[in-house]
Amino acid sequence: MSRRTALLLFLGPSALVLGLIVLWPFVYNFWISLTNLGLYTIRDGAHFIGLAQYRRIFLEPELYTYLGKTLVWTFVNVFFHVVLGVGLALLLNRPYRGRAIYRALLILPWALPQYIAALSWRGMFNYEYGQINLILNHLGLPQVPWLSTETGAFAAAIITNVWLGFPFMMVVALGGLQSIPREMYEAADIDGAGRWWRLRHVTLPLLRPVMMPAIVLGTIWTFNNLNVIWLVTNQGEPGDSSHILVTYVYKAAFNYYRYGYAAAFSVLIFFVLVGLTWLNYRQANKSTYGA
Amino acid sequence: MIIRLLLLPLLALLFLPGCASEGDPARSITLWEQMEPAEQALLADHLAHFESTHPGVRVQTVHFETENLRNHFQTAALARTGPDLVYGPSDHVGPFSIMGLIEPLEGLVPADTLALFLDDAKPSLEGHVYRLADQVGNHLTLVLNRAYVPDPPEDTEEFLRLARENTVDLDGDGRIDRYGVVFNLTEPFWLVPWLGGFGGWVMDDHFRPTLDSEAMRQALAFVRRLVDEGVIPPSCDYPLADTLFKQGSAAMTINGPWSWQAYRDQGIDVGLALLPRIAGTDRYPQPMTSCKGYSMNRWVPEVRRSLVIELLEYLTSAPVVGEVSTRLGALPSRTDVARWPRLREDPTLQASWNQLVHGRLMPVVPEMRVLWDVMRPGLQQVVSGALTPAEAARRMQRQALRKIEEMKL
Repeated sequence: MSRRTALLLFLGPSALVLGLIVLWPFVYNFWISLTNLGLYTIRDGAHFIGLAQYRRIFLEPELYTYLGKTLVWTFVNVFFHVVLGVGLALLLNRPYRGRAIYRALLILPWALPQYIAALSWRGMFNYEYGQINLILNHLGLPQVPWLSTETGAFAAAIITNVWLGFPFMMVVALGGLQSIPREMYEAADIDGAGRWWRLRHVTLPLLRPVMMPAIVLGTIWTFNNLNVIWLVTNQGEPGDSSHILVTYVYKAAFNYYRYGYAAAFSVLIFFVLVGLTWLNYRQANKSTYGA
Repeated sequence: MIIRLLLLPLLALLFLPGCASEGDPARSITLWEQMEPAEQALLADHLAHFESTHPGVRVQTVHFETENLRNHFQTAALARTGPDLVYGPSDHVGPFSIMGLIEPLEGLVPADTLALFLDDAKPSLEGHVYRLADQVGNHLTLVLNRAYVPDPPEDTEEFLRLARENTVDLDGDGRIDRYGVVFNLTEPFWLVPWLGGFGGWVMDDHFRPTLDSEAMRQALAFVRRLVDEGVIPPSCDYPLADTLFKQGSAAMTINGPWSWQAYRDQGIDVGLALLPRIAGTDRYPQPMTSCKGYSMNRWVPEVRRSLVIELLEYLTSAPVVGEVSTRLGALPSRTDVARWPRLREDPTLQASWNQLVHGRLMPVVPEMRVLWDVMRPGLQQVVSGALTPAEAARRMQRQALRKIEEMKL
């Protein structure tokens, strides 16, 4: 068997599967985005309309509104996921009594199905009977209309997602911390480094290669996180004001049957994500290698 | 056409395992449903009976949540596969029929059989009947906790008076312990009865939205008045209303047939009554009515078509519909069953029937989905005080026209 045939035999099946499950749906989605496929055209066949769906999207205010919200949603969530995750991992990385119990408790939000957690949090944000407002009331603070205002609903979804997402970063950071050689800290001690200096110049730089893929993944997951916004704000309430891009697209496709339009929006979301990921990696490489 | 040709093989691959008929394809039927557990148990009994009277026939059922049923059936039937029969609410009929996924039934079921069904029980579009129901109703009714409100209010003013009298702070801590009335203030399904009562409706005969109307302004103002008078919690959504009524912390609620038994199970002395007449008029609120029933997939193979039609007729036959009514407390879909003495003497069914008479069938066109979506924020913003009824009605109409137009692009 020639080397060429062997390569083809080894790589062929996986290339075929990848093509079927990744490339083909992507190409097909792009094709739909160039048509007027929708409720009234699906029966007799949709027509090719070129870039009309894209033109419509760029001319509507929705793209810019929801893109802005998605970026805020992604940045705030990932920021708190990382800060809380790394902070808690640093605390859990020290030896003290009951550490295993704390670890288990802090991982709990991650173990809970998103669907159940989101609906439970929605209940807790009820204006009159929700636990959040009852606590605020108890502290003498005014009640917040969490779910009936645009800002309140968006903030409620962010709080829920921060709670759901920080354990992942914590677990990754904990793994990263445990892989840092003790000798590095001993050398820093000999050089007379304090706690803050060790954190800044030993711990965080050595955590970065572990955290960067997690942050990129977290960014993509958060950007595309449909469940939390959809369930906490009850499909983007009040008045479709708390959507992010993916929930808006989901509603356009599956509530209003605007398949061509939704496909075009999905293609744009894909390119936004490619851009964000590239920026993330570029930044990571710069920081790691000083390139 | 090219799109469908490209789409079909993949969708077929996705859905074939879920709807494959085992054994002889001529004698294996698949049914997808979104039933409640009690309905499922009854269906299982009926299917067992059908199989016992048709040796060799097997009926396989697959359960979905309502929205998933709509999505999955659409996707499967577009790929020319999916179940033979699909059971669900009447509002699925609009998109399914426009997409050409379900079969018109008037050529398949004898005309004299179709004539036995109530108009509400055979939702139709463009002159074709697309679904046969085994139950009708799904409408809202006034539910009283008779420990607090023994007799139903005559009109909306008396309704408000009773609500005020029953909104009380029992322990003097400054918090309301019992509300006069609770119902879902976040969903327009609970606004529509008042809209109808004030003489309006959601769309005209040509399915064009009619939301910016005097009736809508009055309906919104009425709901707002309930909030202003403090007789209903301003953040009242479905779970809250349901919980408060079950706990005995509310004197009245507005809810549908699906909820009544659960209230009784909690020990509430439940009274069912008509939604109160609009004061100063002779008009009653008009809750939306609908039905649940069976449609036939357009792509049922010829080899088992007659068997599928036979099953459809059996599942909507008088004995089955009668049992659905007696065992589940649902209103019958057939006129012959509605005349059964034991159903006419049942006080719950009678009360439900009285309300149904004042109801109005929910339009089955897909535009209805848009109307729900634009009425929801309008209602919520009036309740929260962010918009006046007039502003909300104007905004609803403007958004409805825009979104309906977008659906056609």
